[in-house]
Amino acid sequence: MFGWLEKNPFFFAVGVFVVIAFAGLIEIVPDFAQASRPVVGTKPYSVLELAGRQVYIKDSCNACHSQLIRPFKSETDRYGMYSLSGEYAYDRPFLWGSKRTGPDLHRVGNYRTSDWHANHMWDPTSVVPGSIMPAYKHMFTNVTDLETAYAEALTVKKVFNVPYDTDIDGDGKIDVPLGSYEEAKERALKYAMKIAQETKREDLVNMVKEGKIPEIVALIAYLNRLK
Amino acid sequence: MEIREIQGYLYFFFILFLTFVLYGYIVHLYRSEKKGERDYEKYGKMALDDELTSPPVEPLDVNEDAKDKRSGK
Amino acid sequence: MQNPAIEYDYTVAKWFSYLAILFGILGMGVGVLIAFQLAFPELNYIFGQYSLFSRLRPIHTNVVAYGFTLSGIWATWYYIGQRVLKVSLKESPFLNGLAKVHFWLYFITALLAVVSLLFRVTTSKEYAQFEWPLDILVVIIWVIWGIGIFGLIGLRREKTLYISMWYFIATFLGVAMLYLFNNMAVPTYLVTGMGDPLHSVSMYAGSNDALVQWWFGHNAVAFVFTVPIIAMIYYFLPKESGQPVYSYKLSLLSFWGLMFVYLWAGGHHLIYSTVPDWMQTMGSIFSVILILPSWGSALNMLLTMKGEWGQLKDSPLIKFMVLASTFYMLSTLEGPIQSIKSVNALAHFTDWIPGHVHDGTLGWVGFMIIAAIMHMAPRFFKREIYSKKLLEAQFWLQTTGIVLYFSSMWIAGITQGMMWRAVDQYGNLAYSFIDTVTVLHPYYTLRAIGGLMYFIGLFMWAYNFYKTMTAARQIEKEPQFASPMAA
Repeated sequence: MFGWLEKNPFFFAVGVFVVIAFAGLIEIVPDFAQASRPVVGTKPYSVLELAGRQVYIKDSCNACHSQLIRPFKSETDRYGMYSLSGEYAYDRPFLWGSKRTGPDLHRVGNYRTSDWHANHMWDPTSVVPGSIMPAYKHMFTNVTDLETAYAEALTVKKVFNVPYDTDIDGDGKIDVPLGSYEEAKERALKYAMKIAQETKREDLVNMVKEGKIPEIVALIAYLNRLK
Repeated sequence: MEIREIQGYLYFFFILFLTFVLYGYIVHLYRSEKKGERDYEKYGKMALDDELTSPPVEPLDVNEDAKDKRSGK
Repeated sequence: MQNPAIEYDYTVAKWFSYLAILFGILGMGVGVLIAFQLAFPELNYIFGQYSLFSRLRPIHTNVVAYGFTLSGIWATWYYIGQRVLKVSLKESPFLNGLAKVHFWLYFITALLAVVSLLFRVTTSKEYAQFEWPLDILVVIIWVIWGIGIFGLIGLRREKTLYISMWYFIATFLGVAMLYLFNNMAVPTYLVTGMGDPLHSVSMYAGSNDALVQWWFGHNAVAFVFTVPIIAMIYYFLPKESGQPVYSYKLSLLSFWGLMFVYLWAGGHHLIYSTVPDWMQTMGSIFSVILILPSWGSALNMLLTMKGEWGQLKDSPLIKFMVLASTFYMLSTLEGPIQSIKSVNALAHFTDWIPGHVHDGTLGWVGFMIIAAIMHMAPRFFKREIYSKKLLEAQFWLQTTGIVLYFSSMWIAGITQGMMWRAVDQYGNLAYSFIDTVTVLHPYYTLRAIGGLMYFIGLFMWAYNFYKTMTAARQIEKEPQFASPMAA
């Protein structure tokens, strides 16, 4: 049998494929149903948060920051409660990262404020002396692509049944409304204004007044949501 | 039985199976060489003597000829 | 068929070699820059937002993995494939044309990929950052390569496939499977008709996405940085030294062994889970048993040089290849150590991980591709290698660079890991996060210098190759074994 396999390239290839594919089948598939159940209280991202998440991805924040708190005392002391699988149920893609050049951000919303983030992203060393993180000043002038964020929300709602416009916790109220693009945009602008004011930066407030949300505002909305 | 457990058993037995196959392969390699059925080491020459004009270690054509003979051509 | 005028056709192999040199310099140049950025953050702003660390890091990893390494793999495939199957691409205009399409499509895709990453188009999944239109191009390229492999096999004169062919086939299949499943995504524009047409959303969410990504990430290392490089060394080391593989049987065994070991490698997911304890213990035992075949390859290579160690002194190419197998052994030992639960708790998220990756990529992948291309150069151009001295100097400079790199990253990683968990006498954390960053400055500097040395070595390589192509002494006949080189 073995000798035959060595001389028949096609069946050899099939053999190799079976060996390498089986591991994936056994390891990954059975976990799927279990890991994707959201933890009670986890809600989908609002459009502005999702837009901020896209900014986070676009500038590859995950190249240096993890979003995964491991169950060790040293980590829970530093970052808060360890991460649970169900908390990531609406994360597409996941943003666990693989390297902590900077600290973990999974619960950064618990201990940082909007104005801290704004100052930090404008000039990291002004709030963290010795920081090697670069400034992200282009986020203060780039306008958020709200349309793509809405498109993503609508896509996951349609394709993956993510519960937008749904009463998730059974209290009779819709938890995360999505609605039409116009409705979503109006909601996002209101939310953005609140954050822009919290940052205490005139330029950001003025941009939001003009109906343009700076990327940094969306990003802060996302970071504040990480709790 | 929980899915995790099934997964564990499947995983374990598949590895066990593959290990048997792997060690079976070792036995096969050495036994067939001992019996003189095949000489695996000669294939090492394929890298050393690899000009277009040099004769193949094990030509494809010969085998096809043999097949042709068997089918009575 | 036996037309003596037909020769092997190295056109596409040559093209891919040029690309490997080009992408090597580009990718590692970016790598050196971002290494210096960690030590000297002002360097982040030299090209405005386009030189920020986070923008460049994916470019570095992708250009090195999918630019430099893949070009090297294909350069050697279009060389080794013809030779061990004893069939020339010239004999099949179809396959020859396909090979050229392969090259150009790949080149265009690679450039688009770099540009897209520079302009923030990314999915953020490591080593799978390309957005869906690029993914489709990648799939097409891969299918073309597959047709090329099996087409050439169909025309072969040699009945049995040489061991290098096994590894190339495994590369093809492995990457195809991994890439396809990990990049499953839904383009949002196609569903909603609005927003950015390039944007897509992953088919998997959260932990599932992580699971698929790790399965991909770990095995992509196997099938891009390990398997095809073994294919190279099984051909080039015997050929350059004139010694047949020490044990062909061992090479067959270690092939299957490697496929099994990598099947295991993703399995540490289960070690943290709820499966019974005895099973976890058995898991560890089996992985120890099974790691032996994976070392088989490296030992087989070293033993191939048995009785011929004099060549190590005489030939810089042999030096590159022997050191490459040594680094392979080092990183395949280091990897399992890092996946031990208690070690992993310390090492994960620290600089020890990039350190480990770079032992493998600089020492094993880089050295092997450099040696392979310099072995092929005299055959491509019918000329001697331009300078042996330069090649020697390159070897020593780059080796020193690698040692600096990984030793500084070991220290940095362990320091950082220890500081993160250090507590004072009352049980409170002893260091704030920023303390654990500033302490790394000297190691980051040292690492960047190590990287710079390796990078300078690349220019020596490129110069040597260029001179070999244009100015070295011509040779009459293709050398059979050792590559001729001028002092």
